[in-house]
Amino acid sequence: MNSALGSLIDLWPALVAGAFGAFVPKRPSWWERAGVGLIAALLAMFVMWMWPGAEQQQVAGEWPHLLNVLIGLPLIGSFFILFMPRQSPRVLRGLTLGILLVDLLASLWLLQVPMSTGWHFVYVHEWIPAFGIRYHVAVDGISLWLVLLTTFITPIAAYVTFGSIKTRIKDLCFSFLFLQAAMIGAFVALDLFLFYVFWELMLIPMYLMIGVWGSQDRIKAALKFFLYTMAGSVLMLAAMLYLVYTYSQLTGEVSFSLLALNKVLLPQQAQLLCFWAFAIAFFIKVPMFPVHTWLPDAHVQAPTGGSIILAAILLKMGTYAYLRFAMGLFPWAAGTQAANLAGVAVLGGIIYGALCSWKQDDFKRLVAYSSVAHLGYVMLGLFANTHTSTQGALLQMVNHGVSTGALFLLVGVIYDRRHTREISEFGGLAKVMPVYAAVFLVVTMASVGVPGTNGFVGEFMVIMGTYTSPYLGKFHWVDAAVAAFGVILAAVYMLSVVQKVFFGPLKNPKNAHLPDLNVREGIALVPLVIMIFVIGLFPSVFLSRSSQSVSDFHTRNRLVWNESQAANPEPRLLTNDILAGSLSGSSRDELMKRLEALDGQEPGRKPDDKGSKDETLAIQEESK
Amino acid sequence: MESLLSLFPNPEDNFPLIAVILGLPLMGALINGIFGKRLGPEGVRTMALSAVGGSFLASLAAFLLLYARVQQASASLSEGAAVPHVKFVWNAWRWLALETTSIDVVFAIDSLSATMMLVVTGVGGLIHLYSTGYMAGDPSYHRFFAYLNLFIFSMLVLILGDNLPILFVGWEGVGLCSYLLIGFWFEADKNASAGKKAFITNRIGDFGLLFAMAMILHTTGSLSWAGIEARAPELFNELQIWPIGVAPSWLPAFLTSPVVVNYATLIGLALFLGCAGKSAQIPLYVWLPDAMAGPTPVSALIHAATMVTAGVYLVARMSFVFVLSPTAMMVVAGVGAFTALFAATIGLVQHDIKKVLAYSTVSQLGFMFMGVGVGAFASGMFHVVTHAFFKACLFLGAGSVIHAMHARIHDTDASQDMRNMGGLRKYMPKTYWTYMAATAAIIGLPLTAGFFSKDDILFRAFVNRIQPSGLLKDLAIRNAVQKAGAPLSDEAREAVVQGLHIPEWFSTAVFVVGVTAAILTAFYMLRTVFLTFFGDFRGWRIVPGWKNDDHDHDHHASHAHDEPIDGPVPHESPWAMWVPLVVLAFFALFAGWVNAGPFHLTAFSHWLEPSMQSGLKMVTTIKQGDELTHLEHLLLIPGVLAFLIGSGAAYWVYYVKKGEPARQAAQSAGGLYRLVLDKWRIDELYEATVLGAFHSLAETAALFDKWVIDGVLARLTTIVIQSFGSLFRAFQTGRVQMYAAVMVVGLFATGAYLLTAHGEVVVTKDEAGGMYIVEAAPGLGYKYRWDRDGDGVWDNPQLEQDETWTLLQKVQVQVPPGQETKVRVEVQNAFKMTKIREIVLRRPLPDKSRPDPVGMNVPIEVMP
Repeated sequence: MNSALGSLIDLWPALVAGAFGAFVPKRPSWWERAGVGLIAALLAMFVMWMWPGAEQQQVAGEWPHLLNVLIGLPLIGSFFILFMPRQSPRVLRGLTLGILLVDLLASLWLLQVPMSTGWHFVYVHEWIPAFGIRYHVAVDGISLWLVLLTTFITPIAAYVTFGSIKTRIKDLCFSFLFLQAAMIGAFVALDLFLFYVFWELMLIPMYLMIGVWGSQDRIKAALKFFLYTMAGSVLMLAAMLYLVYTYSQLTGEVSFSLLALNKVLLPQQAQLLCFWAFAIAFFIKVPMFPVHTWLPDAHVQAPTGGSIILAAILLKMGTYAYLRFAMGLFPWAAGTQAANLAGVAVLGGIIYGALCSWKQDDFKRLVAYSSVAHLGYVMLGLFANTHTSTQGALLQMVNHGVSTGALFLLVGVIYDRRHTREISEFGGLAKVMPVYAAVFLVVTMASVGVPGTNGFVGEFMVIMGTYTSPYLGKFHWVDAAVAAFGVILAAVYMLSVVQKVFFGPLKNPKNAHLPDLNVREGIALVPLVIMIFVIGLFPSVFLSRSSQSVSDFHTRNRLVWNESQAANPEPRLLTNDILAGSLSGSSRDELMKRLEALDGQEPGRKPDDKGSKDETLAIQEESK
Repeated sequence: MESLLSLFPNPEDNFPLIAVILGLPLMGALINGIFGKRLGPEGVRTMALSAVGGSFLASLAAFLLLYARVQQASASLSEGAAVPHVKFVWNAWRWLALETTSIDVVFAIDSLSATMMLVVTGVGGLIHLYSTGYMAGDPSYHRFFAYLNLFIFSMLVLILGDNLPILFVGWEGVGLCSYLLIGFWFEADKNASAGKKAFITNRIGDFGLLFAMAMILHTTGSLSWAGIEARAPELFNELQIWPIGVAPSWLPAFLTSPVVVNYATLIGLALFLGCAGKSAQIPLYVWLPDAMAGPTPVSALIHAATMVTAGVYLVARMSFVFVLSPTAMMVVAGVGAFTALFAATIGLVQHDIKKVLAYSTVSQLGFMFMGVGVGAFASGMFHVVTHAFFKACLFLGAGSVIHAMHARIHDTDASQDMRNMGGLRKYMPKTYWTYMAATAAIIGLPLTAGFFSKDDILFRAFVNRIQPSGLLKDLAIRNAVQKAGAPLSDEAREAVVQGLHIPEWFSTAVFVVGVTAAILTAFYMLRTVFLTFFGDFRGWRIVPGWKNDDHDHDHHASHAHDEPIDGPVPHESPWAMWVPLVVLAFFALFAGWVNAGPFHLTAFSHWLEPSMQSGLKMVTTIKQGDELTHLEHLLLIPGVLAFLIGSGAAYWVYYVKKGEPARQAAQSAGGLYRLVLDKWRIDELYEATVLGAFHSLAETAALFDKWVIDGVLARLTTIVIQSFGSLFRAFQTGRVQMYAAVMVVGLFATGAYLLTAHGEVVVTKDEAGGMYIVEAAPGLGYKYRWDRDGDGVWDNPQLEQDETWTLLQKVQVQVPPGQETKVRVEVQNAFKMTKIREIVLRRPLPDKSRPDPVGMNVPIEVMP
């Protein structure tokens, strides 16, 4: 009894937050009160629990099937949905939301384990042994928050969509669940083939969402989205196969494992080509200038839930994959191209995106272009490739997911009421929808990057990291200056639209009686708004989890860079010994330990494999 | 006091009272913002007032504690020793960790921030009280007080933040509150636009601050005050700002000559850009006059007393950075002086009482920057404090007048127009007397607060000199040596060092400009007094809707024949509004005695000194000791003269002659008058240049995106693929003859290809090692012979010609640097067809000009 009371007292911030949250809604809806209070309390608990240096309840081990559950639950759920009767949409919706919420709860388990060097929750299983293709999933500090972002955003997106879409519920539920599985899979896959499979699987439900529940021009937009992404992935597949082929030439065995393939050091020219093949695929997904035009079209046509997921998660797939694969496999090529690419990210992303956004008449198109600008910051952080900037970029991915997700949700709210996205149709809405206007203003501030909200922390870290980056040559300060200049433009376009939509007189009589946020929209927005402040005020909670992985990633990157500096006409295999180079003593031991941890477990490989590898090499020598 | 001290045994490390000071306004903002409507006006008022009042009391306690602590610390000191910098710190939590440093949410109270804190909570509290009366009956009462409390919180964060990022949180926070409050009555598009303009202009300044942070982090590796101060010598690193990268050779030489600036100057200028945005200095002052669209208490609190002085605070706080660069100091002082004069000229002719006060604020802020720019940090801060009293009093007085006028004329613009006022002395005596007191202070009536603070600035501007630091001198000499290519003579060195000093004429110029601005200040302030409170009340003659009939204000006199219309008489404001006025007027008159230099009362300067010690080290005066005092007394004369001339002229023009000379002057210099009335048309200039450029740039970008990227590039791809599709469709007709024909053509082509020999080669280069690998293409039954040295004879000449054919497909050639080798290969296929291929291998000399792009020999990072 005492201990129960004690833990209650320890939880006082959560209780206060819960009570406070429960009082916030004005209308007498107990459902809303309970929901908002519960969300506030849970998020407060989350912060307490995640507080760096707080007492962690250490769970003994990592359950290897956790990631399988995260992927499998929605996947199986989606197939299960297919066999359910179409006539009971309530059941379908409830089941979908239930599965997504269970997935969210299960994903919280990932936070129980400190993200130390190496891979966590690893699960490896042979899939197609003949081609060395394995089902290999794991998380580290880099993918951790993206997985959590996925499990956090999808239920919100689904919940909101269920409010506005009333047709083909069964297909919608299937799409959401299937998408969830594919997205999580792509974030945790460590096998290139597996990644490719998930990467392509994501396209299908998204294609359906835009094409089935979109607005007038949906088919064209869906096709455009599909073709752009597909074109990039084909290039990636070619480079992937080349890499695998080279690996098999070097070792005599075929493997698609990222951890095996990043041991291959290609000649500089080949490295550059492969890098570009991977990078273009990811740049299209990000999207970066000039391959970004599928995004506004897709966003404008997609239903609200589709836009939320597209902006919040699918775009992160590009940035994440660039970091993990393009930079991870080809550090040298990525480093040499960084200065130029940073120029594209700054001018084509941050500045150009913001300028385009300013001149849009369509609300969703405006938010879509603002995404281009925001992702410019993310990419700049990745190109700058310092610890601070990469951490900032990672955080900015999550930030963009939260704040742009919220923006699309909010735009969806007035679209549902007025069925138009033309900014000029609105004006003076703050008078009729005060709560909506207040929430919109908060999210706007997050998007603009006002300190105290999440947007600022990410941009701040990216700009600071960019200034100190050695990869950008003499342009490091110019990139930082222009990126900092971007914050002015962000204010320009966001505040312009806020003024046009919310302030001024109520001109359009159609807007005179718009209802304010309803219960469903309110509950969906509350977690996003709270997260805006949680990340803005306590970013350490997030950054401390990814710090070690980012640091390891950079260490390895630099070592491979050192090796690539010397000309090597032939591809060769890098061992940790080579990488550790001239280091000696305890620092070498420590480094070796880290590198080995990064190599992960290689189950199924027998110790005598090494002998046979030498043999094959010998045979090859002879044949020459 | 003792019991308070015992509550906080170790305030230098942990002083949680700061949490109370900050927490109360935040709580007030949250509760009023979320539950305000349910609380009702009474509850909102109680909440807002008690939040700020509690914060003020806590601030007072903290101030007294700090004072006691400083007394303790200086009691044990020997005579003449510097008072230690006592600082009470409260570290809330770790915000984020960067590579080189971590940023904590940490707040500190030292003498500088304690002073500002008292002003903010004290004046802020009074204005809260005033607002309860002023805003009574507004439907968004709760929203107003939520914003106002949030502003107090943000301002306190700005002042108390112990590092630059936390200051920035407050800095943008006050900007946000300013945005919300200017656009408080958002139904009018004008107000919303003014708010947006304020936010965006401030953001331009914030860009400077953000960039300054990046530069500071890069050079010193820290962002906390103590950390930057400790590593300030690093700020002398240099950055080549032009040309960026490698300049193309075809550019003329004067465009490519390198421009190298040291970081201290760059950071100083970037920080000052931030200050210029927040504190409305040229070129970013344009938002402040528009900001008067907000409710008048907001103008008093945010746009006069507190927020706009944040820039001055920042310069004082970062004085140790600014003094490192004489250039930056010169810019600060120069811009300050020019703004003081420039804004004063606009203030001379405005009709809107709030506009006059707004330009007066810009002008007074210029005075403050003049002070901190010449190294008189304490004087600048003193003017911040006195200005907070008298300008808040002026604005609130104007608010009281507008409140009275508004009851009569339900038009915001008309009720602020001084041409509709006059004679109000009779109707609202309390407002009149307090307004007079504050005016006396601002125009520098001897012995008022404004007199002491303004004269202190003028005096310091005349006598202060910034000394270039030793490191800066070394650096300048080094650069000069590099430029000359030879060691310098002693005279040349002396000349270089002299070049670093701010020129002598500069101090005199600043002084003269300052005195001129003071004359104008006296004139335009008394003009408002005479127009508002003296003469007859012109408000009787106002017709409803007078604004619509004519926009040329000079024709306004034509309404003189209109009959007076009935309506309420202007009345004195309720007690909640005049009590703050009285308190502020009292301070405006008597607060000067805490720093009355001519009377050797310098408590205020001494109190601030420890916070700016390292900055003050670089500042010297032209005279010392008694001579300095004599000079100070002597320099009182121009200040008093400025007051006499300015107020005398105003008295003559607006009281004796009832404004007739002003009307004549306006008519005789019509063009100039209209130009000044239109604020020198600076807004229009910006509109036409910067804004116009950005608008068209954005239009271009949007069109480019629509027509070039989506229209041309994307469509082009489609067309290419489509044309391939139609081409290949032509082959798939289903007619057997067609297929047969294609097959025949294909067979012939394949046969021809197989018959000829193909001598393609691939060369793999290793230019560093000089090893080239030449590999010929493989083929069915192919044989090769090589000529590796390019002498025209196949390798292995001892063999028979036919035997030189081998299966050797790949050869290695070593080429010495800077030379070339010819390699020949002949390929023979199974049909004895041959092909000769010649390859020239040229190995360039190693290129020393391109260094290793990245210094990759960085030690491997280990994160904690």
